[in-house]
Amino acid sequence: MRTRFIRYIEGKSVIHRLDPRSKLIFVFSILLSLTVAPNILFLIPLLAVSLAFYFSARLPWSKTKTTWKFVLAIILVLSTLNLLTLSILYGGAQTLEDVIAQLTSKEVLLKSLTPVTKLLTLAIATVTFIFTTPPHLYAPALGQMGVPYKVAYIVQLALRYIPEYIDEMKKTLEAQMARGFRPKGGKNPIARILSVVPLVVPVTISATLSIYDIADAMELRGFGEKRCHTWYRKLRMMRRDKLLIMISIALAAIYVAIFLMRLYGVIDIPTILRLC
Amino acid sequence: MLVEMSSRKLLSTTNIVAMGVGTALYAAFNVFFNIFQLPGTQLVALRPSVCIPMFFGFVFGPVVGFVAGFLGNAISDAISWGGFWWNWDVGNGLLGLIPGLAMYILKREDIFEKKGLLMAAIMAIIASIIGMAFAAYTDYIFGYGISTIEEATTILFIPAAVTDAINGAILTPILVAAYGAAVRGRARRA
Repeated sequence: MRTRFIRYIEGKSVIHRLDPRSKLIFVFSILLSLTVAPNILFLIPLLAVSLAFYFSARLPWSKTKTTWKFVLAIILVLSTLNLLTLSILYGGAQTLEDVIAQLTSKEVLLKSLTPVTKLLTLAIATVTFIFTTPPHLYAPALGQMGVPYKVAYIVQLALRYIPEYIDEMKKTLEAQMARGFRPKGGKNPIARILSVVPLVVPVTISATLSIYDIADAMELRGFGEKRCHTWYRKLRMMRRDKLLIMISIALAAIYVAIFLMRLYGVIDIPTILRLC
Repeated sequence: MLVEMSSRKLLSTTNIVAMGVGTALYAAFNVFFNIFQLPGTQLVALRPSVCIPMFFGFVFGPVVGFVAGFLGNAISDAISWGGFWWNWDVGNGLLGLIPGLAMYILKREDIFEKKGLLMAAIMAIIASIIGMAFAAYTDYIFGYGISTIEEATTILFIPAAVTDAINGAILTPILVAAYGAAVRGRARRA
Protein backbone atom coordinates (compact mmCIF):
# COMPACT_ATOMS: atom_id res chain seq x y z
CA MET A 1 0.00 0.00 0.00
CA ARG A 2 1.54 3.27 -1.08
CA THR A 3 -0.15 5.47 1.45
CA ARG A 4 -1.33 4.35 4.82
CA PHE A 5 -5.04 4.97 4.77
CA ILE A 6 -6.30 3.23 7.84
CA ARG A 7 -5.20 5.18 10.87
CA TYR A 8 -2.69 2.75 12.32
CA ILE A 9 -0.20 4.26 14.76
CA GLU A 10 2.97 2.26 15.21
CA GLY A 11 3.99 1.43 18.71
CA LYS A 12 5.45 -1.22 20.97
CA SER A 13 2.87 -1.28 23.76
CA VAL A 14 1.29 -4.46 25.05
CA ILE A 15 -1.91 -3.69 23.08
CA HIS A 16 0.06 -3.35 19.84
CA ARG A 17 1.62 -6.75 20.39
CA LEU A 18 -1.72 -8.47 21.06
CA ASP A 19 -3.13 -10.81 18.46
CA PRO A 20 -5.77 -8.94 16.36
CA ARG A 21 -8.18 -11.82 16.98
CA SER A 22 -8.16 -11.33 20.74
CA LYS A 23 -8.62 -7.56 20.34
CA LEU A 24 -11.57 -8.15 18.04
CA ILE A 25 -13.19 -10.48 20.58
CA PHE A 26 -12.63 -7.85 23.27
CA VAL A 27 -14.34 -5.11 21.20
CA PHE A 28 -17.33 -7.37 20.54
CA SER A 29 -17.67 -8.30 24.20
CA ILE A 30 -17.73 -4.58 25.12
CA LEU A 31 -20.34 -3.97 22.43
CA LEU A 32 -22.51 -6.83 23.70
CA SER A 33 -22.17 -5.79 27.35
CA LEU A 34 -23.04 -2.17 26.53
CA THR A 35 -26.13 -3.25 24.65
CA VAL A 36 -27.54 -5.28 27.55
CA ALA A 37 -26.35 -3.10 30.46
CA PRO A 38 -29.36 -2.08 32.60
CA ASN A 39 -28.30 1.39 33.83
CA ILE A 40 -25.49 3.90 34.08
CA LEU A 41 -23.89 2.30 37.15
CA PHE A 42 -23.32 -0.84 35.14
CA LEU A 43 -21.69 1.23 32.42
CA ILE A 44 -18.97 2.58 34.71
CA PRO A 45 -16.98 -0.72 34.92
CA LEU A 46 -17.18 -1.01 31.12
CA LEU A 47 -15.96 2.56 30.67
CA ALA A 48 -13.10 1.81 33.06
CA VAL A 49 -12.13 -1.35 31.15
CA SER A 50 -12.20 0.54 27.85
CA LEU A 51 -10.12 3.36 29.27
CA ALA A 52 -7.59 0.87 30.67
CA PHE A 53 -7.42 -0.73 27.20
CA TYR A 54 -6.88 2.69 25.60
CA PHE A 55 -4.25 3.89 28.06
CA SER A 56 -2.22 0.67 27.94
CA ALA A 57 -1.85 1.26 24.18
CA ARG A 58 0.12 4.46 25.01
CA LEU A 59 -1.04 6.28 21.91
CA PRO A 60 0.56 9.71 21.44
CA TRP A 61 -1.93 12.55 21.99
CA SER A 62 -0.64 14.47 18.97
CA LYS A 63 -1.80 11.70 16.61
CA THR A 64 -5.14 10.93 18.21
CA LYS A 65 -6.09 14.56 18.83
CA THR A 66 -8.30 15.02 15.75
CA THR A 67 -10.29 11.86 16.47
CA TRP A 68 -10.92 12.87 20.07
CA LYS A 69 -11.95 16.38 19.09
CA PHE A 70 -14.50 14.86 16.75
CA VAL A 71 -15.82 12.28 19.24
CA LEU A 72 -16.02 14.79 22.09
CA ALA A 73 -17.79 17.37 19.91
CA ILE A 74 -20.46 14.82 19.02
CA ILE A 75 -20.85 13.75 22.60
CA LEU A 76 -21.19 17.35 23.80
CA VAL A 77 -23.79 18.18 21.15
CA LEU A 78 -25.72 14.98 21.78
CA SER A 79 -25.80 15.28 25.55
CA THR A 80 -27.07 18.86 25.32
CA LEU A 81 -29.72 17.85 22.81
CA ASN A 82 -30.76 14.87 24.91
CA LEU A 83 -31.03 17.04 27.98
CA LEU A 84 -33.11 19.69 26.22
CA THR A 85 -35.53 17.33 24.46
CA LEU A 86 -36.07 15.28 27.58
CA SER A 87 -36.75 18.21 29.86
CA ILE A 88 -38.82 20.31 27.44
CA LEU A 89 -40.80 17.60 25.67
CA TYR A 90 -41.34 15.13 28.47
CA GLY A 91 -41.04 17.26 31.57
CA GLY A 92 -44.38 18.95 31.00
CA ALA A 93 -42.72 22.22 31.96
CA GLN A 94 -44.80 25.37 31.52
CA THR A 95 -42.53 28.15 32.65
CA LEU A 96 -38.84 28.88 32.42
CA GLU A 97 -38.33 27.96 36.08
CA ASP A 98 -39.92 24.57 35.40
CA VAL A 99 -37.51 23.98 32.54
CA ILE A 100 -34.52 24.84 34.70
CA ALA A 101 -35.81 22.59 37.48
CA GLN A 102 -36.27 19.78 34.97
CA LEU A 103 -32.81 20.31 33.49
CA THR A 104 -31.14 19.75 36.83
CA SER A 105 -33.41 16.93 38.05
CA LYS A 106 -31.73 13.60 38.69
CA GLU A 107 -33.96 11.58 36.38
CA VAL A 108 -33.44 13.78 33.35
CA LEU A 109 -29.71 14.04 33.89
CA LEU A 110 -29.35 10.26 34.19
CA LYS A 111 -31.58 9.57 31.22
CA SER A 112 -29.56 11.85 28.99
CA LEU A 113 -26.14 10.79 30.26
CA THR A 114 -26.65 7.03 29.85
CA PRO A 115 -26.74 6.90 26.02
CA VAL A 116 -23.82 9.29 25.79
CA THR A 117 -21.73 7.14 28.15
CA LYS A 118 -22.52 4.10 25.98
CA LEU A 119 -21.36 5.94 22.87
CA LEU A 120 -18.17 7.12 24.56
CA THR A 121 -17.28 3.62 25.86
CA LEU A 122 -17.85 2.09 22.44
CA ALA A 123 -15.79 4.80 20.75
CA ILE A 124 -12.84 4.32 23.14
CA ALA A 125 -12.73 0.54 22.53
CA THR A 126 -13.02 0.69 18.71
CA VAL A 127 -10.63 3.62 18.33
CA THR A 128 -7.99 1.69 20.28
CA PHE A 129 -8.52 -1.38 18.10
CA ILE A 130 -8.15 0.56 14.85
CA PHE A 131 -5.17 2.61 16.01
CA THR A 132 -3.22 -0.46 17.19
CA THR A 133 -3.95 -3.00 14.45
CA PRO A 134 -2.01 -2.85 11.17
CA PRO A 135 -4.49 -3.09 8.24
CA HIS A 136 -2.60 -5.94 6.54
CA LEU A 137 -3.56 -8.18 9.46
CA TYR A 138 -7.34 -7.72 9.14
CA ALA A 139 -7.88 -10.42 6.52
CA PRO A 140 -5.46 -13.02 8.00
CA ALA A 141 -7.05 -12.45 11.42
CA LEU A 142 -10.53 -13.07 10.04
CA GLY A 143 -9.30 -16.08 8.04
CA GLN A 144 -7.63 -17.62 11.05
CA MET A 145 -10.66 -16.99 13.25
CA GLY A 146 -12.56 -19.57 11.26
CA VAL A 147 -14.19 -17.17 8.79
CA PRO A 148 -14.20 -18.82 5.31
CA TYR A 149 -11.18 -17.59 3.34
CA LYS A 150 -13.36 -16.32 0.53
CA VAL A 151 -15.06 -13.94 2.95
CA ALA A 152 -11.73 -12.82 4.41
CA TYR A 153 -10.57 -12.18 0.85
CA ILE A 154 -13.36 -9.62 0.34
CA VAL A 155 -11.76 -7.54 3.11
CA GLN A 156 -8.31 -8.10 1.64
CA LEU A 157 -9.45 -7.04 -1.85
CA ALA A 158 -11.24 -3.95 -0.53
CA LEU A 159 -8.19 -2.72 1.39
CA ARG A 160 -5.99 -3.50 -1.59
CA TYR A 161 -8.12 -1.48 -4.03
CA ILE A 162 -8.95 1.65 -2.00
CA PRO A 163 -5.63 3.41 -2.83
CA GLU A 164 -5.99 2.20 -6.42
CA TYR A 165 -9.36 3.92 -6.79
CA ILE A 166 -8.19 7.12 -5.15
CA ASP A 167 -5.44 7.16 -7.82
CA GLU A 168 -8.05 6.39 -10.46
CA MET A 169 -10.05 9.41 -9.28
CA LYS A 170 -7.00 11.63 -9.73
CA LYS A 171 -6.33 10.20 -13.19
CA THR A 172 -9.95 10.68 -14.29
CA LEU A 173 -9.93 14.26 -13.03
CA GLU A 174 -6.74 14.96 -15.00
CA ALA A 175 -8.25 13.38 -18.11
CA GLN A 176 -11.35 15.56 -17.73
CA MET A 177 -9.18 18.63 -17.24
CA ALA A 178 -7.22 17.80 -20.38
CA ARG A 179 -10.56 17.97 -22.21
CA GLY A 180 -11.25 21.44 -20.88
CA PHE A 181 -13.08 20.75 -17.59
CA ARG A 182 -12.00 23.21 -14.91
CA PRO A 183 -12.95 22.14 -11.39
CA LYS A 184 -13.62 25.07 -9.09
CA GLY A 185 -11.08 24.80 -6.38
CA GLY A 186 -8.45 27.04 -5.03
CA LYS A 187 -8.30 27.36 -1.30
CA ASN A 188 -11.93 26.59 -0.54
CA PRO A 189 -11.96 23.04 0.90
CA ILE A 190 -15.67 22.48 0.16
CA ALA A 191 -15.27 23.44 -3.49
CA ARG A 192 -12.31 21.08 -3.78
CA ILE A 193 -14.38 18.22 -2.40
CA LEU A 194 -17.27 19.09 -4.71
CA SER A 195 -14.90 18.53 -7.62
CA VAL A 196 -15.03 14.82 -6.71
CA VAL A 197 -18.76 14.58 -7.58
CA PRO A 198 -18.35 14.45 -11.41
CA LEU A 199 -15.93 11.54 -10.90
CA VAL A 200 -18.46 9.17 -9.29
CA VAL A 201 -19.92 7.83 -12.54
CA PRO A 202 -16.75 7.36 -14.69
CA VAL A 203 -14.65 5.86 -11.88
CA THR A 204 -17.44 3.47 -10.82
CA ILE A 205 -18.02 2.27 -14.39
CA SER A 206 -14.35 1.67 -15.14
CA ALA A 207 -13.90 -0.13 -11.83
CA THR A 208 -16.97 -2.29 -12.46
CA LEU A 209 -15.69 -3.29 -15.87
CA SER A 210 -12.35 -4.31 -14.36
CA ILE A 211 -14.09 -6.79 -12.02
CA TYR A 212 -14.12 -9.50 -14.69
CA ASP A 213 -10.42 -9.04 -15.44
CA ILE A 214 -9.50 -9.30 -11.75
CA ALA A 215 -11.70 -12.39 -11.31
CA ASP A 216 -10.14 -14.05 -14.40
CA ALA A 217 -6.63 -13.29 -13.14
CA MET A 218 -7.45 -14.78 -9.75
CA GLU A 219 -9.02 -17.91 -11.21
CA LEU A 220 -6.02 -18.42 -13.50
CA ARG A 221 -3.87 -18.52 -10.38
CA GLY A 222 -6.11 -21.20 -8.91
CA PHE A 223 -8.26 -19.10 -6.55
CA GLY A 224 -11.36 -20.93 -5.39
CA GLU A 225 -10.11 -24.33 -6.59
CA LYS A 226 -9.43 -25.81 -3.19
CA ARG A 227 -11.55 -25.70 -0.10
CA CYS A 228 -8.76 -25.01 2.35
CA HIS A 229 -6.47 -22.07 2.24
CA THR A 230 -3.34 -21.22 4.20
CA TRP A 231 -2.28 -17.74 5.23
CA TYR A 232 1.16 -16.28 4.66
CA ARG A 233 1.02 -14.39 7.93
CA LYS A 234 0.55 -17.00 10.62
CA LEU A 235 -0.89 -15.52 13.81
CA ARG A 236 0.02 -17.05 17.13
CA MET A 237 -1.87 -16.73 20.36
CA MET A 238 0.34 -15.87 23.32
CA ARG A 239 -0.53 -16.12 26.99
CA ARG A 240 -1.61 -12.44 27.11
CA ASP A 241 -4.02 -13.03 24.21
CA LYS A 242 -5.65 -15.94 25.99
CA LEU A 243 -5.93 -13.80 29.13
CA LEU A 244 -7.66 -10.99 27.23
CA ILE A 245 -10.06 -13.43 25.57
CA MET A 246 -10.90 -14.94 28.96
CA ILE A 247 -11.55 -11.50 30.45
CA SER A 248 -13.71 -10.52 27.47
CA ILE A 249 -15.80 -13.68 27.64
CA ALA A 250 -16.23 -13.35 31.40
CA LEU A 251 -17.29 -9.70 31.06
CA ALA A 252 -19.86 -10.43 28.38
CA ALA A 253 -21.11 -13.50 30.27
CA ILE A 254 -21.71 -11.50 33.45
CA TYR A 255 -23.64 -8.76 31.62
CA VAL A 256 -25.71 -11.22 29.61
CA ALA A 257 -26.44 -13.23 32.77
CA ILE A 258 -27.63 -10.10 34.61
CA PHE A 259 -29.77 -9.17 31.60
CA LEU A 260 -31.35 -12.63 31.31
CA MET A 261 -31.99 -12.97 35.03
CA ARG A 262 -33.70 -9.59 35.12
CA LEU A 263 -35.70 -10.49 32.04
CA TYR A 264 -37.07 -13.65 33.66
CA GLY A 265 -37.43 -11.99 37.04
CA VAL A 266 -34.99 -14.32 38.80
CA ILE A 267 -33.21 -11.41 40.46
CA ASP A 268 -33.72 -7.73 40.59
CA ILE A 269 -31.04 -5.09 40.84
CA PRO A 270 -30.26 -4.39 44.53
CA THR A 271 -31.75 -1.11 45.73
CA ILE A 272 -28.33 0.49 46.08
CA LEU A 273 -27.69 -0.03 42.39
CA ARG A 274 -31.13 1.13 41.38
CA LEU A 275 -31.17 4.73 40.34
CA CYS A 276 -34.70 5.89 39.84
CA MET B 1 -25.47 -13.49 -21.41
CA LEU B 2 -26.95 -11.67 -18.44
CA VAL B 3 -29.31 -14.45 -17.46
CA GLU B 4 -26.36 -16.72 -16.89
CA MET B 5 -25.00 -14.36 -14.23
CA SER B 6 -27.86 -14.77 -11.77
CA SER B 7 -27.60 -18.54 -11.78
CA ARG B 8 -23.96 -18.48 -10.69
CA LYS B 9 -23.23 -19.45 -7.15
CA LEU B 10 -23.13 -16.85 -4.44
CA LEU B 11 -19.43 -16.93 -3.64
CA SER B 12 -18.11 -17.25 -7.18
CA THR B 13 -14.83 -15.47 -7.86
CA THR B 14 -16.66 -12.76 -9.83
CA ASN B 15 -19.01 -12.07 -6.93
CA ILE B 16 -16.14 -12.00 -4.44
CA VAL B 17 -14.27 -9.49 -6.59
CA ALA B 18 -17.46 -7.48 -7.09
CA MET B 19 -17.91 -7.29 -3.31
CA GLY B 20 -14.27 -6.24 -2.84
CA VAL B 21 -14.36 -3.66 -5.62
CA GLY B 22 -17.73 -2.26 -4.50
CA THR B 23 -16.45 -1.94 -0.94
CA ALA B 24 -13.24 -0.23 -2.07
CA LEU B 25 -15.11 2.23 -4.30
CA TYR B 26 -17.69 3.09 -1.67
CA ALA B 27 -15.00 3.56 0.98
CA ALA B 28 -12.75 5.64 -1.31
CA PHE B 29 -15.56 8.08 -2.18
CA ASN B 30 -16.97 8.18 1.34
CA VAL B 31 -13.65 9.33 2.72
CA PHE B 32 -14.08 12.51 0.67
CA PHE B 33 -17.78 12.98 1.35
CA ASN B 34 -17.63 12.29 5.08
CA ILE B 35 -16.28 15.81 5.44
CA PHE B 36 -19.70 17.14 4.42
CA GLN B 37 -21.39 16.94 7.78
CA LEU B 38 -24.91 18.32 7.60
CA PRO B 39 -25.29 21.02 10.21
CA GLY B 40 -27.46 20.02 13.17
CA THR B 41 -27.18 16.29 12.61
CA GLN B 42 -25.04 13.60 14.09
CA LEU B 43 -22.57 11.92 11.76
CA VAL B 44 -24.88 12.37 8.83
CA ALA B 45 -22.95 13.41 5.78
CA LEU B 46 -24.17 14.43 2.33
CA ARG B 47 -22.94 11.58 0.20
CA PRO B 48 -23.50 11.26 -3.55
CA SER B 49 -21.59 7.97 -3.19
CA VAL B 50 -24.67 6.13 -1.81
CA CYS B 51 -25.42 5.24 -5.42
CA ILE B 52 -22.44 2.83 -5.40
CA PRO B 53 -23.88 0.05 -3.15
CA MET B 54 -27.28 0.60 -4.79
CA PHE B 55 -25.77 0.12 -8.23
CA PHE B 56 -23.77 -2.95 -7.16
CA GLY B 57 -26.86 -4.43 -5.57
CA PHE B 58 -28.96 -3.75 -8.64
CA VAL B 59 -26.47 -5.26 -11.09
CA PHE B 60 -24.78 -8.04 -9.07
CA GLY B 61 -27.53 -9.02 -6.63
CA PRO B 62 -28.58 -8.27 -3.06
CA VAL B 63 -25.68 -9.96 -1.26
CA VAL B 64 -23.02 -8.09 -3.23
CA GLY B 65 -24.88 -4.83 -2.57
CA PHE B 66 -25.16 -5.56 1.13
CA VAL B 67 -21.47 -6.37 1.51
CA ALA B 68 -20.40 -3.31 -0.52
CA GLY B 69 -22.52 -1.03 1.67
CA PHE B 70 -21.71 -2.67 4.99
CA LEU B 71 -17.96 -3.10 4.60
CA GLY B 72 -17.50 0.09 2.59
CA ASN B 73 -19.14 2.15 5.31
CA ALA B 74 -17.23 0.33 8.05
CA ILE B 75 -13.87 0.92 6.36
CA SER B 76 -14.58 4.56 5.50
CA ASP B 77 -15.68 5.25 9.08
CA ALA B 78 -12.47 3.66 10.28
CA ILE B 79 -10.45 5.85 7.92
CA SER B 80 -12.29 9.11 8.61
CA TRP B 81 -12.54 8.94 12.36
CA GLY B 82 -11.49 5.53 13.57
CA GLY B 83 -14.76 4.10 14.79
CA PHE B 84 -17.14 1.24 14.17
CA TRP B 85 -20.89 1.71 14.45
CA TRP B 86 -22.35 -1.64 13.46
CA ASN B 87 -25.95 -0.46 13.12
CA TRP B 88 -25.05 2.31 10.65
CA ASP B 89 -23.03 -0.24 8.70
CA VAL B 90 -26.04 -2.56 8.53
CA GLY B 91 -28.19 0.42 7.48
CA ASN B 92 -25.78 1.15 4.67
CA GLY B 93 -25.78 -2.53 3.77
CA LEU B 94 -29.56 -2.34 3.39
CA LEU B 95 -29.03 0.52 0.91
CA GLY B 96 -27.34 -2.07 -1.31
CA LEU B 97 -29.49 -5.09 -0.45
CA ILE B 98 -32.91 -3.59 -1.25
CA PRO B 99 -32.15 -2.48 -4.85
CA GLY B 100 -30.73 -5.97 -5.32
CA LEU B 101 -34.20 -7.41 -4.71
CA ALA B 102 -35.19 -5.97 -8.11
CA MET B 103 -33.48 -9.09 -9.43
CA TYR B 104 -36.48 -11.14 -8.34
CA ILE B 105 -39.07 -8.71 -9.70
CA LEU B 106 -37.52 -7.75 -13.01
CA LYS B 107 -36.35 -9.96 -15.85
CA ARG B 108 -32.57 -9.85 -16.19
CA GLU B 109 -32.70 -8.62 -19.77
CA ASP B 110 -34.87 -5.65 -18.75
CA ILE B 111 -32.52 -4.08 -16.24
CA PHE B 112 -30.82 -1.77 -18.73
CA GLU B 113 -34.12 -0.77 -20.37
CA LYS B 114 -36.38 2.11 -19.34
CA LYS B 115 -38.31 -0.16 -16.98
CA GLY B 116 -35.10 -1.15 -15.24
CA LEU B 117 -33.90 2.42 -14.81
CA LEU B 118 -37.23 3.46 -13.30
CA MET B 119 -37.08 0.46 -10.99
CA ALA B 120 -33.53 1.46 -9.94
CA ALA B 121 -34.73 4.93 -8.95
CA ILE B 122 -37.74 3.61 -7.01
CA MET B 123 -35.67 0.95 -5.25
CA ALA B 124 -33.08 3.60 -4.31
CA ILE B 125 -35.76 5.65 -2.54
CA ILE B 126 -37.23 2.62 -0.73
CA ALA B 127 -33.72 1.51 0.28
CA SER B 128 -32.84 4.94 1.67
CA ILE B 129 -35.97 5.03 3.81
CA ILE B 130 -35.64 1.48 5.18
CA GLY B 131 -31.85 1.51 5.56
CA MET B 132 -31.62 4.84 7.35
CA ALA B 133 -34.69 4.07 9.50
CA PHE B 134 -32.93 0.93 10.67
CA ALA B 135 -29.75 2.84 11.52
CA ALA B 136 -31.46 5.78 13.24
CA TYR B 137 -33.92 3.79 15.32
CA THR B 138 -31.38 1.16 16.41
CA ASP B 139 -29.35 4.10 17.75
CA TYR B 140 -32.43 4.90 19.84
CA ILE B 141 -33.31 1.30 20.80
CA PHE B 142 -29.81 0.41 22.00
CA GLY B 143 -29.24 3.91 23.35
CA TYR B 144 -26.11 4.84 21.41
CA GLY B 145 -26.12 8.56 22.08
CA ILE B 146 -29.86 9.07 21.49
CA SER B 147 -32.49 8.88 24.20
CA THR B 148 -35.76 9.96 22.57
CA ILE B 149 -37.52 8.74 19.46
CA GLU B 150 -38.24 12.32 18.29
CA GLU B 151 -34.55 13.06 18.39
CA ALA B 152 -33.74 9.97 16.35
CA THR B 153 -36.27 11.09 13.73
CA THR B 154 -35.29 14.73 13.42
CA ILE B 155 -31.53 14.61 13.75
CA LEU B 156 -30.77 11.22 12.22
CA PHE B 157 -33.51 9.64 10.16
CA ILE B 158 -34.98 12.54 8.15
CA PRO B 159 -31.69 14.19 7.08
CA ALA B 160 -30.03 10.88 6.23
CA ALA B 161 -32.99 9.34 4.40
CA VAL B 162 -33.85 12.46 2.37
CA THR B 163 -30.32 13.19 1.18
CA ASP B 164 -29.61 9.53 0.41
CA ALA B 165 -32.91 9.12 -1.44
CA ILE B 166 -32.26 12.17 -3.65
CA ASN B 167 -28.67 11.20 -4.41
CA GLY B 168 -29.57 7.55 -4.95
CA ALA B 169 -32.63 8.14 -7.11
CA ILE B 170 -30.72 10.46 -9.46
CA LEU B 171 -27.34 8.75 -9.67
CA THR B 172 -28.23 5.03 -9.58
CA PRO B 173 -30.18 5.02 -12.89
CA ILE B 174 -27.36 7.06 -14.48
CA LEU B 175 -24.83 4.46 -13.35
CA VAL B 176 -27.00 1.56 -14.52
CA ALA B 177 -27.52 3.17 -17.93
CA ALA B 178 -23.81 3.97 -18.31
CA TYR B 179 -22.85 0.43 -17.30
CA GLY B 180 -25.39 -1.03 -19.73
CA ALA B 181 -23.89 0.99 -22.57
CA ALA B 182 -20.36 -0.01 -21.59
CA VAL B 183 -21.27 -3.71 -21.34
CA ARG B 184 -22.89 -3.68 -24.76
CA GLY B 185 -19.62 -2.42 -26.19
CA ARG B 186 -17.70 -5.31 -24.71
CA ALA B 187 -19.32 -8.52 -25.86
CA ARG B 188 -17.05 -10.72 -23.77
CA ARG B 189 -18.45 -9.36 -20.48
CA ALA B 190 -21.08 -11.55 -18.96
